[in-house]
Amino acid sequence: MVEAIAMAHGWEMQHDADVVVIGQDVGVNGGVFRATAGLQERFGKDRVQDTPLAEAMIAGMSVGMATHGLKPVAEIQFMGFLYPALDQIVNHMSRMRNRTRGRLSCPVVIRTPHGGGIHAPEHHSESTETLLCHIPGIRVVCPSSPARAYGLLLASIRDPDPVMFLEPVRLYRAMRQEVSDDGRALPLDACFILREGRDVTIVTWGAMTIETLGAVAELDQRGISAEVIDLATLSPIDIETILDSVSRTGRLVIVHEAARNVGVGAEIAALVAEHGLYDLQAPIQRVAGFDTVMPLFRLEHDYIPSVQRIVDAVQLTFAD
Amino acid sequence: MSTFKLPDLGEGLAEAEILEWHVQVGDHVRVDQPMVSVETAKAVVEVPAPCSGVVTALRGAPGDIVPTGAPLIEFDSGTVVGSMPATSDEEFVESARVGGAHLHADARGRASTRERVMPAARALARRLSVDLAAVQGGGRAGLITLDDVLRHVDLLPGSSGPGGPGGPGSAGGPVSGVPSPPSGALGAANGDAGANGANPHNGGATPNDVAGPGTAEPLRGMRRAMAHSMSLSRDQVAGSTVCDDADIHHWTRRGDYMLRLMRAMICAWRAEPALNAWYDATRHARLLRKSIDLAIAVDTPGGLIVPVVRNIESKTPQELREAVVAQKQAAHQRRTPPEDLREFTLMLSNFGTLAGRYGIPLVVPPAVAILGAGKVREDAVVVEGKVLAHRRMPLSLSFDHRCITGGEACRFLAAVIADLERSD
Repeated sequence: MVEAIAMAHGWEMQHDADVVVIGQDVGVNGGVFRATAGLQERFGKDRVQDTPLAEAMIAGMSVGMATHGLKPVAEIQFMGFLYPALDQIVNHMSRMRNRTRGRLSCPVVIRTPHGGGIHAPEHHSESTETLLCHIPGIRVVCPSSPARAYGLLLASIRDPDPVMFLEPVRLYRAMRQEVSDDGRALPLDACFILREGRDVTIVTWGAMTIETLGAVAELDQRGISAEVIDLATLSPIDIETILDSVSRTGRLVIVHEAARNVGVGAEIAALVAEHGLYDLQAPIQRVAGFDTVMPLFRLEHDYIPSVQRIVDAVQLTFAD
Repeated sequence: MSTFKLPDLGEGLAEAEILEWHVQVGDHVRVDQPMVSVETAKAVVEVPAPCSGVVTALRGAPGDIVPTGAPLIEFDSGTVVGSMPATSDEEFVESARVGGAHLHADARGRASTRERVMPAARALARRLSVDLAAVQGGGRAGLITLDDVLRHVDLLPGSSGPGGPGGPGSAGGPVSGVPSPPSGALGAANGDAGANGANPHNGGATPNDVAGPGTAEPLRGMRRAMAHSMSLSRDQVAGSTVCDDADIHHWTRRGDYMLRLMRAMICAWRAEPALNAWYDATRHARLLRKSIDLAIAVDTPGGLIVPVVRNIESKTPQELREAVVAQKQAAHQRRTPPEDLREFTLMLSNFGTLAGRYGIPLVVPPAVAILGAGKVREDAVVVEGKVLAHRRMPLSLSFDHRCITGGEACRFLAAVIADLERSD
């Protein structure tokens, strides 16, 4: 997936001279995870700029560039280091269009790794997407495959408004997928149905698609046909697709790595309760991380929802 | 990408010879791990890795002389945290399709393939073992509500028991703006509970039919309707009862109590119209009726049924007699038409033909009054200072005190008695 991300950068920089890449180590080093490898050699130091280790400055610089006609794609090395940039994101980037009554927009993409599972130290395994989803005026996108990383990153760069692009670290090198470098974007604000099923809808995103699809295989053995929806755009939520699925299956399980309390899963559950309650045959179940900090690597796989926990939650929806 | 150059190994030497590589291209090395052995003029030295990363190129082969400061090894030290493996060879297989229901205009308007059910209704159906697929949804867009489930199992007033004899078949919704006239089957269960209890034909249940301990006999048809209407009465009506006797010693023709009672009620209605009415509690409104549609309790082996005789005030005695006979016959043959079981304005139970003097008849809303007539017998009465034996008819008048005053009820009863005590 990391190569697909680099490929999307390359295509868009090639075809749009306004696109610039900034961040710590994105140039000479090619990015902490190699997501911008080779770009500086290809497009020069003006368009691929290494910055100091200063996230607030990276975000502020992006706002300045974007309001003056550039399309910056900024990298924050880990989600746990994003927080100094939140002031710029919340107070300027997300509301520039509103503040200027539509005169200026902020076509910024801020990319940052998302989630754990690679035995990293503290602050390197965060999945705090819910903080971002609460901010009006920005999109939050999280791909779950190389092809979607490519297509959704292109769409995010082309979008005239700010996008937080969360890249699941577990997926960077998890699997190989042929992605054609054709510059074709995928739609934002739309879910992806990874698998169709009859009996239960499972909504998830990012790296949790791995465990979810594992659980689905196990549920198949037990005669339960699960539909899997990759949320992809976490804000705004494509609730129509979820409601449509729930109206067919009658059951909903939401799986996310982030802590349960006020997670994005809670918003999905609330929306389905508001608009699809009468279709539900059982209470909605959430399978999530625990309401504590992501533990260090010896315990991180106890934190990340397992195949078994997902299977158990689905079984609960058939309990009575 | 970073390049490690042969360092000065501390002895001021200008070059070193590569003896052996300990790593290969693609290896993930950790900081301080030995990478290469080089021989200087004096000794063999192991050169450790300066950082963790993946080896991408080795500059030189064993035997090569490398000058100090020349590139020795290339690293990809990008992943400096965590243990990111080299890209897996596992193929990513999937067939995702864009959902985006909101992006496609034609996809709007979800057509649920399952029944849509209010959660509480779903829970109730589960408890009652009701198959929701068989329930007709009466809510918005076919939504199955609590009432729909109750109606399905025939537990709702106004629901028509499948095959129930005398079922009113009143399919009208339970919500109605105007006083909704009671169905006859409900009205049939008016207040002669005492007489009914004494009835040997009570539902045809003989001791042999009585179910053994632990098994329940479901109420059906008119018996179930009686349970409904009596519950309705208990829940809604503020019942009050007044009793008295009519001295009928001077009747010139004995016998037809029913006709005399009906005539007496017509007279009483003219004297006090308030009792021939419907009461709408939701609007706190009463509707005085301009004619008397009298519901008459008929005891049958299958249960109690109360057909309605319409407009009794405009019928001749002969017409009334024929109408009553016809309705009794129809009731016994279980062919009372549904329309003859609803919309009564006043009720009469002549339970005294069986047993019992006084009772507390129960009013079925929205009607507001019921007259019960007990067993006629000779009483010792005092007439002009002497104790004489006179035939007397005990009367029990129940009324809904929400709508009827005690004065109105007593005036009505007094007028009934006055007419009954006439000799003709």
